[in-house]
Amino acid sequence: MEQSATYLGLIPLFPLLGAVVIGLLHVFTCNRYKLSEKFYGLLACVGPVLSFVLALKVLFALKALPPESRYLTHNAFTWFSVGDLHINMGFLADPLSCLMMLFVTLIGTLIHVYSIGYMGGDKNYGKFFAYMNLFLGSMLVLVLGDGPVVMFVGWEGVGLCSYLLIGYYSEDRENVLAGNKAFIVNRIGDLGFVLGLAFLFWAIGAQGFDYISLKANVHMLEPAIALTVCLLLFVGATGKSAQIPLYVWLPDAMAGPTPVSALIHAATMVTAGVYMVARFSFLYAHVELAGTIIAWVGILTALLAAIFGMFQDDIKKILAYSTVSQLGYMFAGVGVAAYSAGIFHVFTHAFFKALLFLGAGSVIYALHHEQNIWKMGGLKTKMPKTYITMVIGALALAGCPPFSGFFSKDEILYSALATGHYGIWLIGVFVAGMTAYYTFRMIFVVFHGEPRDHHAYEHAQESPAVMTVPLIILAIGAVFAGFLNFPGVLTISHWLEPSLTEHHHSSAFLQIIAILASIAAFAVGLKIAYGKFGHGAQEPEFKGFADFAYHKFYVDEFYNTVIVQPYKAIGTAIWKTIEPNVTDSPVKGAARLYMVVGAAFKVLQVGYVRVYAIYMVVGLSLMSLFLSQSLN
Amino acid sequence: MIHNYLFLSVILFCLGIVGVISRRNVFTVFMSIELMLNAANLAFIAFSRVHESMDGHVLAMMVMAVAAAEAALALAVVILLHKHKGKLDTNVFSLLKG
Amino acid sequence: MFEHVLSVIIFLPILAGLLLLASPASRMVARSTGLFISLATLVLSLDLYFGFQSTGHLEFVEYVPWIKSLGISYHLGIDGISLFILMAGSVLLPMVYLVFRTREKGYYANLLIVQGAMAGAVCAADMVLFYVFWEIMLLPVFFMLGLYGGPKRLPATLKITIYTIAGSLLMLTALIYLGVSYHAQFNEWNFSISEMARLNLTGEVAAVAFFGFMIAFAIKIPLFPFHTWLPDAYTEAPTSATFVLSAIMAKIGVYGVIRFVVPVFDETFARFAILLAYSGVIGMMYCGIAAITQKDFKRMLAFSSASHMGVIALGVFCMNMQALTGSIYQIVAHATSTGVLFLFAGILEERTNTRTIDDLGGIAAKAPVFALYFAIAMLASVGLPGTSGFIGEFMIILGAIKFNVVIGVLAGTTLIVGVCYMLWMFQRVFYEKTSTASENFKDLTLVEGLTFLPVILLIIVMGIYPHPFLSKITPTTALQFPQQTPVVAQAPVSNAQVSGLTFEQK
Repeated sequence: MEQSATYLGLIPLFPLLGAVVIGLLHVFTCNRYKLSEKFYGLLACVGPVLSFVLALKVLFALKALPPESRYLTHNAFTWFSVGDLHINMGFLADPLSCLMMLFVTLIGTLIHVYSIGYMGGDKNYGKFFAYMNLFLGSMLVLVLGDGPVVMFVGWEGVGLCSYLLIGYYSEDRENVLAGNKAFIVNRIGDLGFVLGLAFLFWAIGAQGFDYISLKANVHMLEPAIALTVCLLLFVGATGKSAQIPLYVWLPDAMAGPTPVSALIHAATMVTAGVYMVARFSFLYAHVELAGTIIAWVGILTALLAAIFGMFQDDIKKILAYSTVSQLGYMFAGVGVAAYSAGIFHVFTHAFFKALLFLGAGSVIYALHHEQNIWKMGGLKTKMPKTYITMVIGALALAGCPPFSGFFSKDEILYSALATGHYGIWLIGVFVAGMTAYYTFRMIFVVFHGEPRDHHAYEHAQESPAVMTVPLIILAIGAVFAGFLNFPGVLTISHWLEPSLTEHHHSSAFLQIIAILASIAAFAVGLKIAYGKFGHGAQEPEFKGFADFAYHKFYVDEFYNTVIVQPYKAIGTAIWKTIEPNVTDSPVKGAARLYMVVGAAFKVLQVGYVRVYAIYMVVGLSLMSLFLSQSLN
Repeated sequence: MIHNYLFLSVILFCLGIVGVISRRNVFTVFMSIELMLNAANLAFIAFSRVHESMDGHVLAMMVMAVAAAEAALALAVVILLHKHKGKLDTNVFSLLKG
Repeated sequence: MFEHVLSVIIFLPILAGLLLLASPASRMVARSTGLFISLATLVLSLDLYFGFQSTGHLEFVEYVPWIKSLGISYHLGIDGISLFILMAGSVLLPMVYLVFRTREKGYYANLLIVQGAMAGAVCAADMVLFYVFWEIMLLPVFFMLGLYGGPKRLPATLKITIYTIAGSLLMLTALIYLGVSYHAQFNEWNFSISEMARLNLTGEVAAVAFFGFMIAFAIKIPLFPFHTWLPDAYTEAPTSATFVLSAIMAKIGVYGVIRFVVPVFDETFARFAILLAYSGVIGMMYCGIAAITQKDFKRMLAFSSASHMGVIALGVFCMNMQALTGSIYQIVAHATSTGVLFLFAGILEERTNTRTIDDLGGIAAKAPVFALYFAIAMLASVGLPGTSGFIGEFMIILGAIKFNVVIGVLAGTTLIVGVCYMLWMFQRVFYEKTSTASENFKDLTLVEGLTFLPVILLIIVMGIYPHPFLSKITPTTALQFPQQTPVVAQAPVSNAQVSGLTFEQK
């Protein structure tokens, strides 16, 4: 028996209200008198903190319930009801959404605090926090929604905030274009999502289009429709979570401020796709083919992104490709039906990736917005707190035991092995090695060796406490979060059980093989990175494959030539050629016909009265003939 | 027997039409119109004789009166036309040309 | 509320407009009169709205026999569908009087007359009466476009007028055919819509009459390929005329299809629905793609409007309840989003004296309130959830998938097509660096800000809490296309078969 909890609606509402208040304050005061930054900062943190407190309350409430009925619902109001389509603005808190909510609000709060320092001096300070609060509210709607349509509201909402925040420094065309790209590519994914929802609705949605009803009715789905729905929903996920072929927006998204990259493009928004697959585990568990496709797309994305990450020179781009790569791992996890493993990696990744981004932000801030790693170096003595926390994050990312990344990544690889997906496992191990390589390449080049740009180095100093304290808290999470799902004990997996449709495999032998392979991959990657970069390397010149990878296999250029330019060309063609000559030609033709016929008749109007007299005579004669005939 | 008069009437009418159409001088056109009117008069009188009633005679009288009035107006128009263009050739007046 | 509300709503503006034309009033007086009358109409419409009982049938009926020998009557009435079109007009038109600089007296008189005529077209329940108002609607537009429009207004005016009238003549022929058929079948003359629905029309002649009606409405909506009058007319018209054309008059085309064509020509409609649906979808993509290369932002918005109307028309052709309800909801949403965007475009034009997108830039920094309003209207136009544009679009796509999978997928592409040109325009006009033209851009004044505030709030309220609005529409649409029992665990069946089973047999 579910319990109703009216406070569930407040969880997304607080940040949304914060966004409205801050936004209105900013819009009405920014050109006249400026409010103090501290005021905005404080106001901005109210929403996330309150949501976090409520999330904790939900956690304790859920723990008090027995596992079979471990969920709380709240139906705020009927959103729209047309015939068989009945959608409520409802919220569902079960173990899965509770876990997501907790780390979203926690990391969200930390990043808000961090931003108070990072964004200092910016002239649109209020606007930034309004957008950030709006984002957090949308993300919470996404996670807490009780049905796919409410999730879609949050889905699009986070897409909107992503657009607004990427293009935040809107004076530069590049940044706004990056924002446009993100929104449009996301929308392409959303098209798939909406189509999937439509098919799902017409098949089983009439008895209720929320997760609980769908789960109850899923057995009535015909297999072909189920596969179609699964794949279409996954298309939406590739857009939102940057998988092949729609990952191209994420590296460009680094044009936004670093806290944005940390929150949206590392910890929360991009994981929405993984959350969606896990949420629909009752559907995906039925269609093994869909899962396999997802897993392969995921692991190939992981591979591709890792290759790109190995050659980038912008610190944020390295982390961006790293995010795409790790997302690939998460999809590999949920694809092989190891949903809890995938979600666990989402959880740990949120901590260490946010940590790495915020640390990178700290470095960028210290060096006055320098982002090229080949202009950094030797910073470990100047910024010890940043250095230590980033090393912790890097160890977690690279999968070094006993940090959190090791446990989550290992769980995924083990699941791939245990379900017989050997190819995925092998690629996964290889990518793990590459991950270690590029992560430590970044660490060594930025923090070790001699400084490459002495001027910037002189002015560098450790960041203020408002920025380093969140780093430390996240580092603690990156270290200890792994223990929440220790192999064998699997606390989180058991916690998530009521929400997911999952089988657990247990094979100690395979477990050990997976662990050993992961550790070996980490060690190899670290060693190669140390060998090449540990002692102060210079910026390399790329040739051949390396150059090709540095230019990201020219995928962006390819998309531009094959999609963007033809689209614009068709637009121009329609406007200049097709419209005037093809679609308008019947209309123009009719007008011309009229004129031509008129000109033909004009010949009869000679102007000479005598000719008119002839016309009269002829006409009269014909008429009289006709009359005389008809009178007969 | 009456048909002789009718033939004559028709011939006169056609001659009048030909005159209206093919002559260029305005006066000749009007003379042809008068000829047409007289042809109609002849037809009326002939039929009146056949039906032995006076209706035809009455109508013929009316036609003559109308012809006289029309001639007066027409001559006034001719004077104005002459003032306007200085010529009395029907081909010259072609403002109605489309 | 008193019985004759509808007649007052129709004739008050028309009479006021005619009086204005005849009197030697000054421009300010004309503007104030216009504002006053449209506000009075708004009050009456709100009264109507709250007194509406959602029975699914015609309400506030007025019936006076007019030409008895031909069965033509002065028959007015509204139901869930026409209520919203009427409300859209009444709520949005007062804004036009408040935001622009004062123009000539005839401008405001024509606006009033067109308001009354549109209300008449929407409320008419007799076909001939509808036709009369349909024709009257065009006259003020002709004058506004021809007298007060932009530099290239004359060809545009001629095109729209002659094109629309040509379509209307086809409709008149079809109308007469319907009257004659009715007389042949039932031995009396009657042009009331409810009576006409009883007609049984089959065969090729019926198909020709069907196309007679459809072409007239297709020209108005506009449906591809009858849309070619639109870019020029919308661009050269003065902003309030564009607003009227886009926000309300186009919808009357859709309304005509729902009200007249669907009940009377049910079999022929089902036969040709797929063709019309393709027309709508192709029009959406065609106009949407053409929009991205436009250099003039009013022209771009014109193509955007045509694109969205394609989707709205598609909703009608899908012949199911969700798509139709979505279509009607989207009608109001489109008026609030694209219509308001046209008004904003007018403000932009007035303040910067240019319509070229490349000349502008950085307006968000100079005028944050304006940018905020514009952004909200733009997001409603692209169908962001939480704004009015989402609900209708979602339901139309849902219904379209049910009707035909290919059409549904193509309809879904509106999500992408719409975003491309809107963001591109928004970026160049509001973001980036300030240009010379937008250096001194003043933000919205208090009056303008307050004028637009209700609509902006309406956009948000319609997106978050549409239920009260939808509950007035659904009884009527449920009668038009009753929801068949859910087809569980089967692929979507082709519509032609399904509709044969579930259409109301009249």
